[in-house]
Amino acid sequence: MSQDQLALFRTEVSAWLKTHCPASQRQPIVREEQIWGGRRRVFPSADAKQWFEACRDRGYTAPEWPVEYGGAGLTPEQAKILKQEMARLQCRPPLYCQGLWMLGPALLVYGSEAQKREHLSAICRGEIRWAQGYSEPSAGSDLANLKTKAEDCGDHFLVNGTKIWTTKADEADWIFCLVRTSDASPKQAGISFLLIDMASEGVSTSPIQLISGESEFCQTFFDNVQVPKANLVGELNGGWAVAKELLKHERKMMAAFDGMLEKPAMSLLELAHYAVGVDQDGRLGNSELRSDIAQHLMREQAISQLGERIYWQGKAKQSDPRLPLLMKHLGTTETQTKDELILRALGDEGLSMEDECVPEGLRKMVKQWAFNKALTIAGGTSEVQLNIIAKRALSMPTSEVKS
Amino acid sequence: MILNAEQLMMRETVAQFFAERAPISRLRALEHEPIDISYDVELWSDMVALGLTGITVPEVYDGLDFGWLGLGAIAQEAGRCLVASPLLSSVVMGQNVLLNCGSRAQIERHLPAMLSGDSTSTLALDEGRAFDPESIVVAERAGTMSGRKIRVLDAPMCSLIFSVARRESGELGVALVSADSRGITASGRRLMDLRDSGSVVFEALQTETIEWLEGLDIRGGLQKTLDQATAVLAAEMMGTAREALERTVTFLGEREQFDVKLGTFQALQHRCAQMYCELELADSAVAAALVALDHDAPNTSSLVSSAKALANDCLTLISSESVQLHGGMGVTEEMDMGLFLKRSRVCNQLLGSSSYHRDRYARLNGF
Repeated sequence: MSQDQLALFRTEVSAWLKTHCPASQRQPIVREEQIWGGRRRVFPSADAKQWFEACRDRGYTAPEWPVEYGGAGLTPEQAKILKQEMARLQCRPPLYCQGLWMLGPALLVYGSEAQKREHLSAICRGEIRWAQGYSEPSAGSDLANLKTKAEDCGDHFLVNGTKIWTTKADEADWIFCLVRTSDASPKQAGISFLLIDMASEGVSTSPIQLISGESEFCQTFFDNVQVPKANLVGELNGGWAVAKELLKHERKMMAAFDGMLEKPAMSLLELAHYAVGVDQDGRLGNSELRSDIAQHLMREQAISQLGERIYWQGKAKQSDPRLPLLMKHLGTTETQTKDELILRALGDEGLSMEDECVPEGLRKMVKQWAFNKALTIAGGTSEVQLNIIAKRALSMPTSEVKS
Repeated sequence: MILNAEQLMMRETVAQFFAERAPISRLRALEHEPIDISYDVELWSDMVALGLTGITVPEVYDGLDFGWLGLGAIAQEAGRCLVASPLLSSVVMGQNVLLNCGSRAQIERHLPAMLSGDSTSTLALDEGRAFDPESIVVAERAGTMSGRKIRVLDAPMCSLIFSVARRESGELGVALVSADSRGITASGRRLMDLRDSGSVVFEALQTETIEWLEGLDIRGGLQKTLDQATAVLAAEMMGTAREALERTVTFLGEREQFDVKLGTFQALQHRCAQMYCELELADSAVAAALVALDHDAPNTSSLVSSAKALANDCLTLISSESVQLHGGMGVTEEMDMGLFLKRSRVCNQLLGSSSYHRDRYARLNGF
């Protein structure tokens, strides 16, 4: 597409957004007002519903997916422009959904035509909310050790076992799962990828209380659940390839989640000024904190510069495949550094998540500090990321223990 | 943030040139030279022949106009081989203080000889223990100038010295003096990285021998020059860091203990992976700073400070870890790793330490 065509597209998109996105939906997102869709979806306001439906009807909930599956069929350049214009106009993301970020991209690669038709447009239209069923109590970083069993019973699979860290499984309609279909060795070769309706008999969930006081995650139990054979994605025992495709999208999402999360009440610098004030030269009052904040801001900036480098390399067909491997570890670690700086600056006000004498916005930041401890664990721990970097980026020799 | 085809080709040529002509053994040979010899003159004249004096110089002044990103790539290659040359002192600092602070007539008078290699120059700025461009004491008073400048790169070998000094009026100025003028003593000082960073002493230097640079904005021009030099030094440091890490990873892949390659140990893999993360992170900041220089972006100084602080921390980490991971060999002169370590610590003090740049970054960003 020529530069002129892209410029025209930008003008059109911008005009469309201005017409269809109500002012109330051009405010920074707050968590309670995120639209997650699903059979039990409720909209926080008429404006939110109108904005969601406008995007849905134009395919903008999944801009890059093909039109026949409910997307808008945009090229990556066009999608980037849409994203930029939405950010510029502060439009809220129309839909949040694991189906959109993770399952969909994998189905586009591995799904059958029937599966794509059944599931993709239901995702784009916000009709079905998905949960992810990967980890198990005994299969975390060693995901291939999973034990949830799907037994071949002729016309269906009989599923027994349990999945953990299933985000919002209690509110999800369907769950995509990795299940064991064979005891073959290596362990990866006996895993299949299965789609399960949460309304099936024998599925139950129980929330997990986190150190941040929230319970985003659940444990999900499968007790003699019958699953139609048509719900198998990819080959029988070929689920590991689908899982890897999907994890790629999860890591990408976790590295670039920023604009979609609730904005904190104050930026780090605002908060530091609020907490420690300024000295006689008008500079942040605590010189050690000042230096550590500068260090953090430089690193945060460098992470986005690394992102830009990856982008420009891709555009010039000079991609260095090692660089994207670094983003998850660097990004999540730096977010935690920021959280620690916030806690340090807050001092006494940072010691409680519940004390109502402390402004709610600040308590939310303290909760976020605790919640973000999960960032370096979920989606491949930092230790696993470093293993991958050593192996694939630095080609270091592998030991006898299987990684 | 990526090199164009011409810049890529230049980098390849230069990489090959340094690998063949400037291996670290050539740097080590300097140790046996008199203290006033800070680089290999023959190597330098070959670098001039390659066109390295004109990389960032605009075409109107017969330069190549390859940009700061282009020069950064060349500096990285020099950093890989720890090349001692007047690239930083003369090509970056000397030429650019002339371009940024000089009048058009002054540029036309002095630049051609610098481009042809007939003259080399340096910038005399530092006076105290640490880099601090705001506290300049050396001043012109009653017709003479006296004082001492330290950490002047390649001081005894250059023909022209640009010295930052206070003018009779108290304003900041840049004094251009010929190194052989009466009243100037330039002495060499071999640092632990085998480079030369000497001192220049002015003793009742007659004002008539000084040519003050006459550009319109001396303060701004000086800051720009320092930003340019800092970004190029940071780029050189990235080459040094990359080479050290590659050597270390290779060593761990070959060295066997406990009947296995050391590189199979996860504890060591994680340390290398961590270093690699830091390397690409700092390298991205350096690339962004060089691009900002090429576009004269308004936040250039902030990006440069970020690049230097991250480059300092990154090379400090990688050089220390590389010595440690080479085991006993790491602390011997038989291996070159010690030179990477020493070079790192010298670079930390040149053009600002990490704390200096964190403070400057904070100031530039309003805190």
